Amino acid sequence: MDEIMSRKRTSFFTIFWGILALLYFFLPIYGTLDFSLRMERGILGFKAYKIIFADPRFWEGFRYSVTMAVITIIVSAAIFVPTIYWMYLKVPQARPIMEIITILPFVIPGIILVFGLIRTFSRPPLQLTTSTFKTDILMIAGYVIISMPYMFRAVDVGMRSIDVRTLTEAAQSLGSNWFHVLADVIIPNLRLAILGGSLICFATVMGELILADFLVRPALGPYMVRLGLTKAYEPAALAIISYSLTWFSLGLLQFFSSRSERQKQQVITT
Amino acid sequence: MTHLELTHIHKSFGASVAVEDFNLTVKQGEFVSFLGPSGCGKTTTLRMVAGFELPTSGNVTLNGKDLTYVPPNKRNVGMVFQSYALFPNMTVAQNVGYGLKIAGKSKNEIEERVREMLSLIQMDKFYSRYPYQLSGGQQQRVALARALAIQPELLLLDEPLSALDAKIRFELRQEIRRIQQKLGITTIYVTHDQEEALSLSDRIVVMSQGKIEQVGNPFEIYNFPQTRFVAKFVGSLNTVTATVVDPAKGIASFDGINLEIAQGLNGKNKGEEVTIAIRPERFNFLAEQRKENVFDCTIENITFLGSVVRVQMKIGNSIFNMDTFNRPSLKLPNIGGKEQVTCSNKAVLVLAG
Ligand SMILES: Nc1ncnc2c1ncn2[C@@H]1O[C@H](COP(=O)(O)OP(=O)(O)OP(=O)(O)O)[C@@H](O)[C@H]1O
Ligand SMILES: [Mg+2]
Repeated sequence: MDEIMSRKRTSFFTIFWGILALLYFFLPIYGTLDFSLRMERGILGFKAYKIIFADPRFWEGFRYSVTMAVITIIVSAAIFVPTIYWMYLKVPQARPIMEIITILPFVIPGIILVFGLIRTFSRPPLQLTTSTFKTDILMIAGYVIISMPYMFRAVDVGMRSIDVRTLTEAAQSLGSNWFHVLADVIIPNLRLAILGGSLICFATVMGELILADFLVRPALGPYMVRLGLTKAYEPAALAIISYSLTWFSLGLLQFFSSRSERQKQQVITT
Repeated sequence: MTHLELTHIHKSFGASVAVEDFNLTVKQGEFVSFLGPSGCGKTTTLRMVAGFELPTSGNVTLNGKDLTYVPPNKRNVGMVFQSYALFPNMTVAQNVGYGLKIAGKSKNEIEERVREMLSLIQMDKFYSRYPYQLSGGQQQRVALARALAIQPELLLLDEPLSALDAKIRFELRQEIRRIQQKLGITTIYVTHDQEEALSLSDRIVVMSQGKIEQVGNPFEIYNFPQTRFVAKFVGSLNTVTATVVDPAKGIASFDGINLEIAQGLNGKNKGEEVTIAIRPERFNFLAEQRKENVFDCTIENITFLGSVVRVQMKIGNSIFNMDTFNRPSLKLPNIGGKEQVTCSNKAVLVLAG
């Protein structure tokens, strides 16, 4: 009897807190959305969105940030997948150290990273602030560091879910060299982990502000801030656009993971 | 014809020695087991043959070619792991064909060979399944097919059946032997299960603490163990330390009881200590039949093991086991009762160490 009571109570509180959390999360978004639609007095409309989509600086920022994000993802995957693989295989005891190093970008404020980068790379021997191309390289390097905690963790979790060492040895005994082991065995089994890391990486770069601002590159982040200084409705619309982008990414992640599940299911039934 | 040769293999991990002065020659087509308790260096030795570990010193030669420093992917050695290690992202067919794909074989050739291998392990129907859709036993069959598909010169198996339940283990054991004999492939099989080693092998290498204790065929290993360790580890030999009384006549004594040994004690001196061993099944009650050695004993315990009854008894101050067939006419003594048992002088073995 008591048990039933307490179970009822927990389920009541679960729902209560659940609803509270949802409200806490969605109310501001709803508020922003509502506000963004009220640019024209008295009617709900997409005027703020139209203005943004008509602004060439938005598209410039969008294109720039997407390009940077994609390059960042490629570079950081190319760095982290082999590194973490090597760590699992040869120096598993280094994992705690790696974990601390990769969490540093969380601890060190972005502004310090930027000043560090600018101070180090705006003078010889490695001067990277003299052309936009070189500055972009610096940007990518900074983005890779900023997104490092996500990429490392995503790949680490994926790596832990497979028996890296035995799979490597099995592939080697079948004649595989290192490149083939990675390309045929390790990476395919990390696909989802890498995808997950990449999407978070993407969202981080798309919203990044400080690096682009100080290195004076036309990314989406600074555009958003500048818009916010002079306008009221457009930034709200932009916030909704960027939320949608993030959710779209998460949706993609969900889609890919459930699709690979479905594929597995299908094979079972045939 | 010598096929695989391990000479003076030595392996240390830092200060700890895993394998010490390991010497072995394996003939073409031979099935050799490494048998020993956990941590005795079986896996380490196998991994040196596969190329996953470098020996600290010594050499591995296959077909007269020194392989010691050849990387594992250039050895053409098939390996089967305890954990199956199938590639989760590939189907059964892709797993089996992987080695051939790496070797750059044509699609048709791979397809043909994969079908052939799958029919060899009787798993044709599982062609397009993924590993997680297979039972452990099926996965291990596929792993075997995958290792054999590349037509390796040597097949290495590291406790391939340990993760499976008893019935599957028994079936797959027969299967491995059948396939091995059909293909005539030289095989090294690591196990800590004496029954597995005895039933499968042409020869058994019994190991303890990184060293070879004895190499011999199952019959020799079981019936003529040379060391106390082998005697204890393989089967359940009774061992006791005895003192040589008369080397010429082959008489020794333990706990003041004399013992006649048919094989004699040549090369031993009077008063020297030797380890002797007697298999439990070589004892019988004096009432049934008289043999050369007769002992007074006290019955300590009686255990029924199905077709066999194991009687634990005390002779002098030493505990011995006697196994006797469980037939209806058997008259079992009382626990704590005094009895007389007997064994042939040929049943008494003298061990080296
Ligand atoms: N990479 C390693 N680093 C340090 N010591 C190791 C390493 N691999 C094995 N050893 C040690 O070498 C010894 C032999 O190990 P090995 O794995 O060969 O034993 P095994 O006979 O296969 O045992 P099991 O039946 O438990 O598998 C053990 O004492 C083990 O601790
Ligand atoms: Mg082992």
